[in-house]
Amino acid sequence: MSASTDTATLAGSQRPSRLRLLEPITILWVALIAALLVLVALPLLKMFVISFEEQDTGVFTIQNYLTAYGRQRYLDAVRNSLLLGTLSAAISVVLAVPMAWAVSRTDMPGKGFTWAIVLAAFIMPPYLGAIGWVLLAGPNSGWINVVWRSLTGATDPLVNVYTFTGMAFVIALHSFPLVFIFVKSALDLISSEMEDAANILGGGTWVTMRKVTLPLVWPSILGGFILIFLETIALFGTPAIIGIPARINVVTTQLWQFFEDPVRVEVASAFAMPLLLVTIGLIAVQKLLLARKGFVSQTGKGGERRQVKLGPWRWVLFGWCVLVALLSVVKPLMVLLQASFAKAWGRGFSFDNLTLRNYQFLLFEHDMAPQAVWNTVWFSATSATIAVVLALLVAYIVVRRLIRFADALGFLAMAPFVIPGIVMAIGFYAAYAGPPLSLYGSALLIILAFASRFLPIAYASSQAAIRAVHPEMEEAARILGSGRLHAIRKVTAPLLKTSLLGGWLVVFIVASRELSAAIFLVGPRTRTMSVLLYDLTEQGNFEVVSAFGGILLVITMAIVGIGMKLVGRDFMLRRE
Amino acid sequence: MEPHERDLYEAARREGQVTWYSAQYSADTSEAIGRAFTERYPGVRCSVVRSTSQVAFQRLSQDQRAGVAQCDVFASSNGGHYIQLKRQNRLTQFRPVNADGMLPMLRTADPDNYFQYSSLGIYLLGHNTNMVSDAEAPKSWADVLDPKWKDKLAVGHPGFSGAIGIWALQMRSMFGPDFLRRFERNKPQVGRSSIDPVTMMTAGERAVGVAVPSASTLFAASRGNPLKLIYPTEGVVAVPAPSAIMSNAPNPNAAKLFMEFNTGPALSRITRTMFSESLRPDVPPPEGCRPLDQVTLLSPSLEDADRGVPELREQWRDIFGV
Repeated sequence: MSASTDTATLAGSQRPSRLRLLEPITILWVALIAALLVLVALPLLKMFVISFEEQDTGVFTIQNYLTAYGRQRYLDAVRNSLLLGTLSAAISVVLAVPMAWAVSRTDMPGKGFTWAIVLAAFIMPPYLGAIGWVLLAGPNSGWINVVWRSLTGATDPLVNVYTFTGMAFVIALHSFPLVFIFVKSALDLISSEMEDAANILGGGTWVTMRKVTLPLVWPSILGGFILIFLETIALFGTPAIIGIPARINVVTTQLWQFFEDPVRVEVASAFAMPLLLVTIGLIAVQKLLLARKGFVSQTGKGGERRQVKLGPWRWVLFGWCVLVALLSVVKPLMVLLQASFAKAWGRGFSFDNLTLRNYQFLLFEHDMAPQAVWNTVWFSATSATIAVVLALLVAYIVVRRLIRFADALGFLAMAPFVIPGIVMAIGFYAAYAGPPLSLYGSALLIILAFASRFLPIAYASSQAAIRAVHPEMEEAARILGSGRLHAIRKVTAPLLKTSLLGGWLVVFIVASRELSAAIFLVGPRTRTMSVLLYDLTEQGNFEVVSAFGGILLVITMAIVGIGMKLVGRDFMLRRE
Repeated sequence: MEPHERDLYEAARREGQVTWYSAQYSADTSEAIGRAFTERYPGVRCSVVRSTSQVAFQRLSQDQRAGVAQCDVFASSNGGHYIQLKRQNRLTQFRPVNADGMLPMLRTADPDNYFQYSSLGIYLLGHNTNMVSDAEAPKSWADVLDPKWKDKLAVGHPGFSGAIGIWALQMRSMFGPDFLRRFERNKPQVGRSSIDPVTMMTAGERAVGVAVPSASTLFAASRGNPLKLIYPTEGVVAVPAPSAIMSNAPNPNAAKLFMEFNTGPALSRITRTMFSESLRPDVPPPEGCRPLDQVTLLSPSLEDADRGVPELREQWRDIFGV
C-alpha cells in the first residue's frame, strides 16, 4: 500500500488525527523536494533569469546575449569546444571499444591488467594527465621528441601536445574509461546465440563483430560518446594548461574571462545557456537514434556466453591494450614521478638531479598545501555523503512508487548529469555566492556544488541497488510492526550497504579532483588541492606541481584501496 | 620590534590572521614571506593566496560582486589596479612608518597614501645558454621582433600576469601600436605567469624568455640551470608595484602590520635571498643583478596602466586568440 493512499483513506475517516498518522515519508518527501530544488533547480533557474538581467539594475535585457555572442573570438570558443568534445569522444570510442570487446567477449590474455589500466586512467585527474603530456610531448623538450630526435636525427618533433588534436588526444586518454565501462557492461549481457546465428549464416569473427555484436551495443557506445562530449566541453584545467600555449580558446576559458573585472555573471550565464541547449539536443538525438530499433539482448531464455577464440589476433588486441596503457597511464605517471623528485625536470634522470625539496616545500613550507589536502578530503567526503543519502531516499521513493510525481524527483536527481559542470558552478555562484546568503568562498557552497554535480552518479547506483532488493523483505518487517523508515534503516539499508559504499567512493574520487566548479567558488582558506594545483601551474613550476599531483594520487589510491577491500575489486567500474 | 609595530601587533594578535592576495612575488618567495611574517609576529598567521595579478584581481572582483570580504592586503603587479580601486573607494588610507626608509623612488606611491609600493620587479630578456650562445642572443627589445627568433621565444600573458600587461604597454609605446601584431609573427609560446617562460627556458622548450622577471631567472640559474639574463640596450622594464589594504578588510590591524612588514627591512632581507630587488637602501640588492643606478628603467605610469592594460589585454586576445 502506498503512502498517498494511506493518508487519503485516513483523511476521510479520522480527520482530526490526520497529522498524527501522517507517515514520516511525506515529510521526508517535502524535504527531498526542497533539497533538490536548492541543489539543482534554483541555480539553473537563477542563471536563466539573470542572463536576461542588466547588471546592477536587474532590468530585463537581451544585451547579455548580444555581448556573449557578438564577437568572433567568443563564437570561435564555442566552435572549438564543440569540435574538441566531438574529437575527444571519437578518440575515446576508438581507444575503448576494442578493449571492451576484447575483455568481454574474447580470449585475449591480460584481462586483469586491462582492468587495472582502465581503473588507473579513470582515477588520474585529467589536468595531471595534461601536465604529464606537456612533459612528454612538448615539441622541443618533451621526452618523446627528445628520444625521437636522438634516434632519427630529425629536427621536427614527432608529436606536439600544443595542438588541437594533441589536446583532444590527451583528454581522450583520461575519458575513454567511461566508454569502456558502458560498452563492456552491455557486451556482457549479449548471449552468444546471436553471434552463433551469424556464424551459421557464414559470417566470420570480424564480420559478426561488426555486423551483429557492435550494433547491439550501439546505445552504450552512443551513451559513452555523449557523456565524454559533455565532460570535455566542461573541462577547465586541460584547456588552460594546454590550450593557452596552443592558442585555443574554448567555452570554459572564455567563461572564466567573463568573470574578470568587472565580473559579468549575466554575460557568462547568457554564454552558457546555449550549452544547455546543446546537451538537451544531444539527449534528444540519442533518443531519436535509438527509438526506431530494438536492442533487446536479454531474453527470458538464459543464453550462454562463450569467449570468441581469436588465435594469434588475441596478441594484437593485447598489444592495443598495452599501447593504451602506456599512453594513458604508464608514461605520464613516469614523467610526473620523475619531475616530482627532480630539481629541474628537463635535466632528466640522474642522481644529482634528485631532490625531496618539492615534497618538503608542499608539506612543510607551504601555507596552504596541507590545508588544501584536508579541504579536499573533507569536502569530498561530506558531499559524497550528502549525495548518497539524498540519492538513496529519492531512488527509494521512485523505485517503490511511494508517491505521485515520484518520477519528477528522479528527473531532478539525474538532471546535473547532462549539465556541464562549469555551468552548474556559474549557477551556484549566481544563486548563492552573493546576498542574501553570501556563501561565496565558504566550505558549504563548495560541498553543495559537489553534491549537486555528482548526485546523478550516486542516484544511478542507488536506483539500481534498490531495484535489486525485493520489497517483500521490507513488507515482512512492516507486518511485524515497524514503520517505513524503520524498515528502511533496519532491512533495506543493510542490504544495500555494499552498493551504497561503492557509490560513495566513486563520488568521493570524482569530487576530490573536481576543478571546473571549484575554481569559481573557493575562497582563500577553502581552496582544494585541484585549485591550488591549478594556481601552481601558472608559473609552469612542474616539479612542485607534479609533487602535489603525486600527493593527490596517493590519497586517491588509498581511498580506492579501501574501496576494493570493502566493496570488491571492480567497484568503480561496475555499472549496475 | 619597533614601537609603532608593537601597538599594531597587539591589535593584530586579537585578529589572529591576515589574508594576502599575493601576485608580486613567485610562489616560493610568497610562501617564504608569509612564513617569515608568521614567525616574526607569533599569533598572527599570514594566509598566502598566490596567483597571477589578473587572477588575484578577478578573485577580488568576485569577492566584491558577492559582497563577501576575504582579502586584507591586495598585492598586484599591475599598478593600474590601485588607481581603479582608489577611484571606487575600496582602499584604506594608511601610510606605513617603515615606508620612509625605502629607496627614494619607492617612498610614495600615492600622495593620499591609499597604497604603498611593496615590490620592484625587473623584467628583461633571458636565454638558455645551451640553446643560444651569448653572442647570438638578442641584445635589445627590438631584436625579439627579428624573424630569426620565430618559434624560439616564450612570454607570459597579460590576461594573467600584471607585469606582462605593463611590459606590453611599455613596448607598444616604444615600438608603435602594431607591436603586438609584429611580436605575434614570431609565434612566441604563451604561458600565463611571467615566470612560465623561465620554466620553458629551463626545460629547453624555448631558447629565449621575453619579459622574464630577473628574480625567478636568477633563482633558476642558481639551481644549476643554464640560464642567463640579458639587459636590453633600451633598458629594463621596471615595475614598482604597490600593495593596499582593502576598505572592507576583515583584519584591518593585521593588514596594517603586514604593510609595515612589507615596507620594512625584514621583507627585503628575505626576498633578496630569492633574488628579488631590495626595496631599501639599508638592505643590499640581490647578487647577480646589475645595480639599479646602472641600468635604464622603463615603466609606464600607474595612470597609464589603469587606462591602457584592459584595452591592451583585449587587443592581445584578438591577436593571439587566447
